[in-house]
Amino acid sequence: MLDIIIYGAVISAVYALLAVGFTLIFGVARILNLAHGAFYALGAYCVYTLTANLHVPLVIAAVIAVLLVALFGIAMERVLVRPLRRLPPLAVLMMTLAVGLMVEQILLLIFGSEARNVPSLVESSFNFGGVLLSGQRLLAFFCSVAILGGLWLFMQHTRLGAAILAVSQDPEGARYMGIPSDRIFSIVMGLSAAIAAAAGVLVAPFQSVIPGMGLLPLVKAFAIVIVGGLGSIPGSIVGALLLGYTETIVAFKASIEWSQIVSVAAVLIVLIIRPAGFFGKRAAF
Amino acid sequence: MGLLELSRLTVHYGKALALENLDLEVREGELVAVLGSNGAGKTTLLKAISRALPSRGAMRFDGVDIGDVPMHQVVARGICHCPEGRRLFPELTVLKNLQLGAYLRDDRAEIAADLERVYALFGVLRERARQQASTLSGGEQQMVAIGRALMGRPRLLLLDEPSVGIAHRLKMQIFDSIRAIQQSGTAVLLVEQDARSALGIADRVYVMEHGHIVRAGTSAEIAADDSVRQAYLGV
Repeated sequence: MLDIIIYGAVISAVYALLAVGFTLIFGVARILNLAHGAFYALGAYCVYTLTANLHVPLVIAAVIAVLLVALFGIAMERVLVRPLRRLPPLAVLMMTLAVGLMVEQILLLIFGSEARNVPSLVESSFNFGGVLLSGQRLLAFFCSVAILGGLWLFMQHTRLGAAILAVSQDPEGARYMGIPSDRIFSIVMGLSAAIAAAAGVLVAPFQSVIPGMGLLPLVKAFAIVIVGGLGSIPGSIVGALLLGYTETIVAFKASIEWSQIVSVAAVLIVLIIRPAGFFGKRAAF
Repeated sequence: MGLLELSRLTVHYGKALALENLDLEVREGELVAVLGSNGAGKTTLLKAISRALPSRGAMRFDGVDIGDVPMHQVVARGICHCPEGRRLFPELTVLKNLQLGAYLRDDRAEIAADLERVYALFGVLRERARQQASTLSGGEQQMVAIGRALMGRPRLLLLDEPSVGIAHRLKMQIFDSIRAIQQSGTAVLLVEQDARSALGIADRVYVMEHGHIVRAGTSAEIAADDSVRQAYLGV
């Protein structure tokens, strides 16, 4: 029982990190970003390159990786997505899919298909009432919670955060206040990319770092956000807890293989009974 | 010299002509009303001024051409637009909505002073400050919208039908406060369907029909004009 609670908390926190960025860019710019998993993979590979090839200390490498991926997100929004904004939304969707596939192929060309290892920041393990948890998982949990808390403070207590919420609630109203929505879109894409990269960096030591590693997190983020309601930050956190714990319970009581079907089943059930998601204002599709 | 000078302003919606060769002036500190029926182009006029819509023709504010500047710079220059349908941020508090009106400003102390001025104008907003904007009544929401536009510290305030869908008592209060805003030195360009109330507070009036200005004059002149009385006052 305790093992489920502890492992579920770790996985839920990482899922929340993935889902929050995904829902944020949808809520603000109405972009369904299929390149979100690529941000996660890029974060992990950046840390790998910086530590293994360039011998940068791990903590510094982690920070640089997050910043680089944030810049990548901003560049992607400005160069590839913004020119398509006047076209039907499908054009932007296809562009994000193209970016996601391109990143995966480039990683494959550079690093090959074999799994790479990223060292753990915390090597020791911790014992919680008989449940053994690796230090890196513990770190991933606390960093995720800290990032989510920081994001909440940023949204609630800064002018930029308020402007982001304003654009997500009424983009036209925000323009009348002199809030430049284009710049807000770029900033939010950068923020979303940074948070996804942070997730990639945190889990890289206990996940296999392979070019296709972004696909499953994208599917999970998508599922969580559909359960919680597209565009809702609280919804994505509740969705992450629901999915994280359900998966953990299934993994412990049945098998790891069965746990992977949870997210798909959750999407199916939610779309049937409440298409807007639990916290969504309206159906996104 | 006028604060805002429009000459031969023309706006197209696709191929349809919404405004054609429109001349209009608002002088410093003046309250100017634009009357007209639905679809006359009143909202389009305000949107062209705040650069929410592209337009042709000359548009000068404070002697400077603003025909090419982006929307957020128009706000920074002192034209604040309280748009049709209010467009509040429904899930943010009243206070957050008001603060966002000052998004482009950095003078913290002055922003705090302006917030006090808005509360002095609309006392109920102080009580509602921590409530979500969507929980307010229509009239109160209109007060938030006007207050939010004032938080940009405009030299020219654009008001799009502030009386629409509001109970009579609140409507009177809103017209009184528009008068008070003008008396504090802010020029106001008011678009309104309620001709009687608008004529009661405006210095000058333009009457629009089908994207053109068909009459212009002081409130007294327009109120005395028989065709206007028949069309807009029903007497």
